[in-house]
Amino acid sequence: MIDFLGEVVSWFGDNWWGPTGIVWRSRQHFELSGAALITAAVLAMPPAAWLGHRGRGTGLVTALVNAGRAIPTFGIVALALPITIRIADVVPWMSSGIGFPAIYVALVALALPPLFIHTHTGILSVSTDVVEAATGLGMTPRQILQRIELPLAVPVIMTGIRVTAVQVVATAPLGALVAHNALGRFIIDGFAVRDSVRVFAGAVLVAAAALLTDAVFGAVERRLTPRTRSESATRRSGVRNTTAVG
Amino acid sequence: MRTSRRSGAVGAIAIAVALLASACGGGSGDGPTVTIGSTNFGEQLILGEIYAQVLEAEGYTVERRFNLGDRDIVAPALRDGEIDLMVEYTGSLLTYEGGTPSSDSDATYAALIAALGPQELSALDYGPAQDKNGLVVTAETAQALGLATVSDLAAHNGTLIFGGPPECPERPLCLPGYEEVYGLEFADFLPLDVGGPLTVAALAGGDIDVALLFTSDGVIAARGLVLLEDDMGLQPAENIVPVLRQEVIDAHGQDFVDLINRVSALITTAELRELNKRYGIDAVDAEVLAREWLQANGFVD
Repeated sequence: MIDFLGEVVSWFGDNWWGPTGIVWRSRQHFELSGAALITAAVLAMPPAAWLGHRGRGTGLVTALVNAGRAIPTFGIVALALPITIRIADVVPWMSSGIGFPAIYVALVALALPPLFIHTHTGILSVSTDVVEAATGLGMTPRQILQRIELPLAVPVIMTGIRVTAVQVVATAPLGALVAHNALGRFIIDGFAVRDSVRVFAGAVLVAAAALLTDAVFGAVERRLTPRTRSESATRRSGVRNTTAVG
Repeated sequence: MRTSRRSGAVGAIAIAVALLASACGGGSGDGPTVTIGSTNFGEQLILGEIYAQVLEAEGYTVERRFNLGDRDIVAPALRDGEIDLMVEYTGSLLTYEGGTPSSDSDATYAALIAALGPQELSALDYGPAQDKNGLVVTAETAQALGLATVSDLAAHNGTLIFGGPPECPERPLCLPGYEEVYGLEFADFLPLDVGGPLTVAALAGGDIDVALLFTSDGVIAARGLVLLEDDMGLQPAENIVPVLRQEVIDAHGQDFVDLINRVSALITTAELRELNKRYGIDAVDAEVLAREWLQANGFVD
């Protein structure tokens, strides 16, 4: 066991650079994850916010939860591959259609449901009292969404983004099955030649990437969560354990 | 309460049905059981199905464990008893067992028997069909660079991208062999799959210039690809050969051995290519292909 860990440590010493190294593959990994996350956010969040604001779409949300959790990403990758290969035959700037396109589609599909649900629920859960008060102040629906509901929903929405980002980063290794050159390659190639050191190192790298993603988005989440007036008052007066006095 | 008793009864019946169904699954016939395994490419599935179905027609119960992985996974499974039979290739298996094959089928087979020795594994008769590693380029590449043999690639060292199975850089009959015997140097290696859709798509799409495919691959002819001639004879004879544990051979007797040998003797390289083409290009199931081949050769009705 100690020998094995020693081999893993020395593997980490040798494999940083070059097109098959940790640095390049990490970059590809985060580029893929980022692209999928942003695409899914652009596709899912605006309609979810609007539907949440209108108080509609709860049935759709439930259906999305169930469908999204039931469809395995592995299956989507396998289904997407022949399609992306065909598309590449027609589209001139795509060479073969293997690699990035197939796993990108699958990761967007993975990210859509949780982003939609968190955004929708976050907006929906803003208290109607607050919305009524804002309406009473003469704000338009668009202003209410932008200036009241979204800021109040930020904690839930940011949690959704963080959770989805971690899921995407952790699932992106599947891309190695369709020839994508990212962190999953260490696991897949190591498995093909029975190199358990490489497999283990690859798993460690993916886990580290997921934890890093969680930490970064967690920090962003904390920065963006607006403090309530009672919390600010508590801070200013220096009193620690008060309940909200309002 | 009536509801809970009824749902309890339904549950019990469901479990009983499920247990019965699982007991009935896995092969017809109530003869002795043979477990056939295979590695992870189409030709292996077809060959596995051929032997499986011919045994089932003779009353054996066959359990199929196909598509397990590459040789590193399937060979130990054979030794451990997880599978009883697998279809191998004489040259590659001999290399795997530490021997040195040649391009002569008989000599390679004899060396394989010697290498397997009196241990657990035994090889039955080899068949005429061969499936060797081969380097393939598109027709455009062959014309543009003037490629007809593998040696011709050496003139373009350092400029071409090579793609093949992920284990290729560590197999003596793959990348290391080409580097040593032909002095080839590729600009890069892309790990893809074992002669499957990723490799073909990468070659057709230009992600790679040279692909490792198999000489019995139907896609080479069907897509107008060019198989470079192995002019320095790196690839040895690779006849198909069923490999079993000695105890399985002893348990099932001479009739079993004769049946398998009769099948092996009739599979030619041309037929294998045709089967691969129908599997890979026409998307016919391995099961259907096997049945049709057995019918055409008089093994089943």
